[in-house]
Amino acid sequence: MAFLLFTAVGIGGGGEAAAHPRPPRPTALQAYSERAAERSGAAGVSGAPPAPELVPLPARAFDAPIAAYRGYAARQLAAMAVPLAQLRRALAADQRGAARAAWEVAYADYLHLGAVYGEFGALNSAIDGTPGGLPGGADDPHFTGLHRIELGLWHSAVPPHRLLGAAAQLTANVHLLRRRLPYEQITPLEYATRAHEILEDAIRDLLSGVDVPWSDAGVLATAAGVSATHELITTLRPLLDGREDAIEVLDSALTRLDGVLATLRRAHHGRWPTLAQLSQREGELLNGAVGAAVEALDQVPGALETKLPPAIPTLPKPR
Amino acid sequence: MSPLDRRQFMGRSLALLGAGGLGALGGATAEAASARTFPTSARSSEEASEKAQLATAVPFDGPHQAGILTPAPAQASFIALDAIVPERLALQEALQALSARARTLTLGGPYPRLEVDDPPADSGILGPLNAPDALTVTIAFGASLFDGRYGLAAQRPRRLTAMPNFPNDALDPTRSHGDVLLQICATHRDTVVHTMRELLRSVRGALQVRWSLDGFSSARRGPTPRNSPRNLFAFRDGTANPDVRDAALMDRLVWVGSGLDEPAWTHGGTYQVVRAIRMHVEFWDRVGLTEQQNMIGRERDSGAPLGGSEEFEDPRYDLDPDGKRIPLEAHIRLANPRTPQTADQRILRRGFNYQRGFDTAGQLDQGLMFVAFNQDIARQFATVQQRLATEPMIDYITPVGGGYFFAPPGSHGASGWVGSGLFV
Repeated sequence: MAFLLFTAVGIGGGGEAAAHPRPPRPTALQAYSERAAERSGAAGVSGAPPAPELVPLPARAFDAPIAAYRGYAARQLAAMAVPLAQLRRALAADQRGAARAAWEVAYADYLHLGAVYGEFGALNSAIDGTPGGLPGGADDPHFTGLHRIELGLWHSAVPPHRLLGAAAQLTANVHLLRRRLPYEQITPLEYATRAHEILEDAIRDLLSGVDVPWSDAGVLATAAGVSATHELITTLRPLLDGREDAIEVLDSALTRLDGVLATLRRAHHGRWPTLAQLSQREGELLNGAVGAAVEALDQVPGALETKLPPAIPTLPKPR
Repeated sequence: MSPLDRRQFMGRSLALLGAGGLGALGGATAEAASARTFPTSARSSEEASEKAQLATAVPFDGPHQAGILTPAPAQASFIALDAIVPERLALQEALQALSARARTLTLGGPYPRLEVDDPPADSGILGPLNAPDALTVTIAFGASLFDGRYGLAAQRPRRLTAMPNFPNDALDPTRSHGDVLLQICATHRDTVVHTMRELLRSVRGALQVRWSLDGFSSARRGPTPRNSPRNLFAFRDGTANPDVRDAALMDRLVWVGSGLDEPAWTHGGTYQVVRAIRMHVEFWDRVGLTEQQNMIGRERDSGAPLGGSEEFEDPRYDLDPDGKRIPLEAHIRLANPRTPQTADQRILRRGFNYQRGFDTAGQLDQGLMFVAFNQDIARQFATVQQRLATEPMIDYITPVGGGYFFAPPGSHGASGWVGSGLFV
């Protein structure tokens, strides 16, 4: 299930992009030097930084991209019903292996919501919350959802059927989210910022293993974030076209990242390896490709500004 | 804190020899050792300034412990220890040893020469003469020290608890809390490293390391000597600190005194909050400058409040009620709203930057060792922290460790020790 999804929106999309030849990209040092040279003429390398060069986009230009992503997110949430049902069946039968497999698919499905989950607030915490900020930590009664089940499946001798309550609650919360999704508001700035923040979160929380301490499913989770990023960039493509060279730069970085993920999956017999299963070399390749991707994606919010930053009022001098 | 000249420094060294009863080493030897390490004619001004820094001594004893109001030097280490001895007397002896050793090291000077077939009295990594180097050792106690083990429960400082999980925390228990916290600060890294090694040697069987974190300050790069140091988000940190020269203010904000329903032994002490706050610096570096500055509320270069031109300018929130100049959720605005109602919530910050390698995702493990001294954690630190729960900066930071501690009043005289008030 997960493999099909990733193929559809992730690796498949990347392969298509790779078919078109790209102009050679400047190295990071060249890019830095070019920018320094541009700046030294006008406002100088010190003093007040210059204003953005691009003409702001109208906010309504984001209506169609956000609507398209919302549709995608709704489909992902609907798809999540299948692995959640499998999870409940496996838990009821005390089949730990099958339950883990279903959990992985459900978790990846949820992470495909990347561009919007930040808006879900308390409901997101109930579905995807980690025990860190709770007073009682992992023993806290408010620690429920995907990671509570992860703890039970990977790091507990308690029989899996004892997790059925948590799985039922998770299912109910996902249903609730499906009903709420059409009403969730996201601003153009927030949406454009998610272009790099999905993978920023992945680096901070998933690739580091922090949010998946028991399953160690950091690669699977990062790959889901990459898919969500692809989907988001697809919706923004019409807006990004012609905004400096943003689209070329990030297509190139995402294509490379897709290639690394596909290689890892092949090397691990068609499954996502755990973080611990990555060789040092594989870890370096993945960290490097994700890092290069966010370095490219961080241009998106600036390229898609809907307004120039307002002038800051001057603080009156004390008398 | 003022640089001592060579004569003063040698005088202290000799006084130490007398006080410590280290008579085996004659005054003449100390004189010779000093002369070798601190030549009167420095070859360059750089060398002279280095010598002056090394010769700077901060007294260990006093009404309050050093390392609290003392200006923060460049280097620091924090070591949380757990007491592992079963009886109270052994704990007392360990705490006495910590103070005695810390006093000797902060004073500087030569150490006794033992018989040649014995292990030397000092590791010797600073040479035959330990320069004081602005060294301070601040000793503090965690709430766990006041559990049932040592009969200290009745004397627990009333406001001391274990640090709770705040909403955005990801505290790692193995990097949090502890019975005793050592804060070691000095100008040079080797002095801190040496002090840690010597102090731990003196308490090996009684206190064991729970966690540690090394910190550093940004160099004083100006433009004025008064400018606050930068954190690893590149913003100046500590600008709004209360003035440590204002003794009455320190009595209101930092020191525990009478009238607070605290045990008498705590008077002259202070609550110390330490928090290891991981800063996701690669992520931060991918954020536009405007957004960075709006999150903090200050200009990155100058440290001035947005719209202003000078670091220590009053941000005048009263003239900006809608946050048009400084957003209402900017860090400086939530942390210190500068109203009469929040005046007694202010804390004295004395943090250090840290860098401890990389995580498994290849990301820099950098951040802030946040250190705050305050009179009442609930009224001050915790109130401020709760206000910060919704600041936009939370995406870029993760508090991972630390704890609440109580730094007792300072010690007196050659046989005094920090914490002695607990064992009367």
